[in-house]
Amino acid sequence: MRAVRTALRGGLAGRRAQALAIGLVLLATCAASTLAAGLLADANAPFDHAFSAQHGADAILTVNAQRVSATELAATARLAGVTAATGPFAEAIVTATATVPGGPGVVQFQALTLAGRSSPGGPVDDIVLSSGHWPTATGQIVVSRDLADQGPGISLSPGQVIMLTGEPGSPKLTVVGVATSATDTADGWVLPAQITALGPPQAEQMLYRFTSAGSGAAVSADVAAVRRALPAGTVLGAGSWLTVRAQEAQNIAPTVPFLLTFGVIGLGVSVLIVINVVSGAVVAGTRRIGVLKAVGFTPAQVMSVCVLQVAVPAVTGVILGTVIANLLAAPLLGQTSRVFVVSPQSIPPWVDLAVPLAMFALAGIAALVPASRAGRLSAVQAITTGRAPRPSHGYAAHRLLSRVRVLPRPVTIGLAGPFARPGRTLVTFAVILFGAVAVTFGVGLGTSLNRVAADLALPGAGQVQLGLPGQQGPPGQAPPEPPSVVAAQEADMTGALRAQPGTLHYVTESKGQLGVTDMAGTASVTAFGGDASWIGYPLIAGHWYGDGGAIVNTAFLNATGKQVGDSFTLTGDGRSATLTITGEVFRPGNSAVVLTNLSSVAALDPAARTPQWYYVALRPGVNPQGYVNAIRTRLPTGVSQQTSTAGPLLPAISALILILSLLLITVAGLGVLNTAVLMTRERVHDLGVFKAVGMTPGQVIAMVVTTVAATGLIAGMIAVPAGIALHHAILPLMGNAAQTGFPAGIYNVYNPPELVLLALAGLVIAVASALAPASWAAQARAATALRAE
Amino acid sequence: MDALVQLSDVTKRYEDDEDPALAHVTMDVGHGEPVAVMGPSGSGKSTLLNLIAGLDRPTSGTIRVGGQQVGTLSEASAARFRRRQVGIIFQFFNLLDDMTVADNVLLPAQLAGVPAARARARLDELLIALRIEKYRNAYPARLSGGERQRVAIARALVNRPPLLLADEPTGALDTVTGDEIGALLLELNASGQTLILVTHDPALAARYSKRVIRIVDGQIEDGAPAVTPA
Repeated sequence: MRAVRTALRGGLAGRRAQALAIGLVLLATCAASTLAAGLLADANAPFDHAFSAQHGADAILTVNAQRVSATELAATARLAGVTAATGPFAEAIVTATATVPGGPGVVQFQALTLAGRSSPGGPVDDIVLSSGHWPTATGQIVVSRDLADQGPGISLSPGQVIMLTGEPGSPKLTVVGVATSATDTADGWVLPAQITALGPPQAEQMLYRFTSAGSGAAVSADVAAVRRALPAGTVLGAGSWLTVRAQEAQNIAPTVPFLLTFGVIGLGVSVLIVINVVSGAVVAGTRRIGVLKAVGFTPAQVMSVCVLQVAVPAVTGVILGTVIANLLAAPLLGQTSRVFVVSPQSIPPWVDLAVPLAMFALAGIAALVPASRAGRLSAVQAITTGRAPRPSHGYAAHRLLSRVRVLPRPVTIGLAGPFARPGRTLVTFAVILFGAVAVTFGVGLGTSLNRVAADLALPGAGQVQLGLPGQQGPPGQAPPEPPSVVAAQEADMTGALRAQPGTLHYVTESKGQLGVTDMAGTASVTAFGGDASWIGYPLIAGHWYGDGGAIVNTAFLNATGKQVGDSFTLTGDGRSATLTITGEVFRPGNSAVVLTNLSSVAALDPAARTPQWYYVALRPGVNPQGYVNAIRTRLPTGVSQQTSTAGPLLPAISALILILSLLLITVAGLGVLNTAVLMTRERVHDLGVFKAVGMTPGQVIAMVVTTVAATGLIAGMIAVPAGIALHHAILPLMGNAAQTGFPAGIYNVYNPPELVLLALAGLVIAVASALAPASWAAQARAATALRAE
Repeated sequence: MDALVQLSDVTKRYEDDEDPALAHVTMDVGHGEPVAVMGPSGSGKSTLLNLIAGLDRPTSGTIRVGGQQVGTLSEASAARFRRRQVGIIFQFFNLLDDMTVADNVLLPAQLAGVPAARARARLDELLIALRIEKYRNAYPARLSGGERQRVAIARALVNRPPLLLADEPTGALDTVTGDEIGALLLELNASGQTLILVTHDPALAARYSKRVIRIVDGQIEDGAPAVTPA
């Protein structure tokens, strides 16, 4: 054992560069794999983490405060099957406005649920404050993160004031904190006294956790039991944690296909590189193995030395890699946590354990195979093996390439290099291919998502979207102002738009919920009071509607089984209207969306006759904010402004794509670096000969770089169609998960100059990675190289 | 006789805290002169050859070959110097196993940018002169030791260097083959080729050189003129 220890110590000290390479490769591959696996694991269950940590409510019951006593509600906590309950919390539904600095002016909030709670904690639904503090007095409010996030750069934060416009006297509440409830129990929390100050509470919240709530049926049974324990008609509504979970899953689902893709690519690259590095290290040390055998080491001892020589840097690499993965994961998961409105996540412990162990086992197996082969070799064989490529490999390539006169001789020597070790060349090729595919896929996906973001922001709407005060509530909600006031406001707005010189043209928009025959539930119907084709709604198929036509989203087609060209019937207010589907519009989500002319649906939805928004196209050169300010001066009753955004999920996905692509490129680069180092070290004596006969350092660099450049170039050229195919295969999966198809422009993201650059990605990865060993070879003294074995 | 090679107070240390491999060596070699550098194993002979060839740099002192300061050349300049000024023959041939005889011989010419036709003509000339033309497309591994050394000599001469450095050129050969190679070197010298031959064999040194410089422990031993007589 002592002999093994001595040999191991000597081996590690004498091959520091190799140990460093093994450690670095395992560090990078372990970091990439752990991060990808961790993200995947978390992508599957962020809500579950938050729900468990915050003791989310299995059911939220809204009860009629006038018909049930606190004692009766408290008794439900002791029902069989109820493990915890909290409440009652007085509840109020309010309408509010806030002026958000840096935002589009006054932001309107309709139907906000405020809950009166004296503290954020409790046996059920711990509310986690991400900033500020819990209200200490009336006049203060903690807002939910959902409410706080009003788009990029626009958010409610402590210190800002919300005015409850629908309440007598329009009381003002100062935001003192932003918080998250795992089960979205409210949009804002105030002290119970604040709810009372708004008037006698009509409704109260009771939050429950049950022994069994794993399925919809179980939750329904639990809720029914509570309902039976209360006076009849007391329960106004019940929400299930499963509904919130399904909504969160809907948000996460689009990320899973690409995370899986990157994960599989990362794992493939990792496996190849670890095998290449570790087996290369053992092969490079074969001569030393021969010497050890010559001085009396048994095959088992030789194997032990080989495997341990890999194991020591491998353990260091995987430990550091795991730490780095966790450090990288913190901001990434923090970002996704914010997106998913859950508390900050970390890589699950089982991933932190399983991935490093798997990588370490992989390194061990990769070392064991060549080590056992080396262990079986005779001492003489071992001493003479591994110093150079086996005879006859690559000779023909050298011979053929020596006849190529158009290329400098160092280049033709370099080009013949890969043929000396075909197995290693193949692995290097695969590693570069994986890396370049990741680049092509990542660039394409990033561009596609940018276009999705641009499309969702309605590029044609460009310019300005204005609304009458109090008309931007949820679909179907009655306007808070009397019709005469609204009509006057509408006339004022129209007059102002017409009078303002910067106006090119405008169109009104109103939204409502209407029934659709052949479909359960309702569709969100957007009705335009004129030509709205210029707003920029992207079409997946078909064309913009004309009279009697409509365009619908993918979710509508899926829900109704209709296709472009088919007809469907909208129902509302006792009437119906049949429209023809002329196109499929790009509006992701699982809500059925219909866009049509106001004239087609005005009879079905009287509320739709009142415009909610005015989309205004401006004349060239007109500043949008200056335009809005000018309109505001013309409208004494005020005006709302909104910006269409793609939401916070896309930037999070783009950041993930960037980080994962960079990690994969780094790992692929390390794979190439390893190949170049091994080739250079194996041919160090030949390098001495080359230098002795007059090869300059520049020529040495050209030769070494060329050794991997051709492999990189070919891999890159194959990677482009492969990456595009992957992009075209994964994007629809992401679309399916988000309940949408994509317009052609989302797929056709690769332009010819970009394709040329992407085809060169493999070459760039190869050349950049080979430059360091090439420089080392160029700087090595000829006499030193000639002395090397 | 003009000096082609001039060494002045040349010292080479590989490690700062160790004895020098060469210490204060001063010597010169005239144009067309065959000189043998002799000494026991580890005496510094090969170090001396490496320094003259620009394969290594001296710790101190100056080395001139054909009037060019070799010790201070950059790596690139040293490579260009070797292409034109020096041909090197090694004890263990140092041929490239994956290249044919022709490719091995042509390599220095190709690196120097010699036009292909001229390089080919020189190759033919050398293969015939060294009686290895039938091995033109063979790989070194298939040749005998003597044949390999002939290939190495052809490679050393392909760019017509004024100086030929031979490091134990017969050390890996049997006696008969060694004599053949020695005779070949003498022939070359007779045609005006300057030759510095490193050997530990006194008989070889006596037979193939007109002057012997003895090195022991990195220093030139007295008894033989290190500087060419006027």
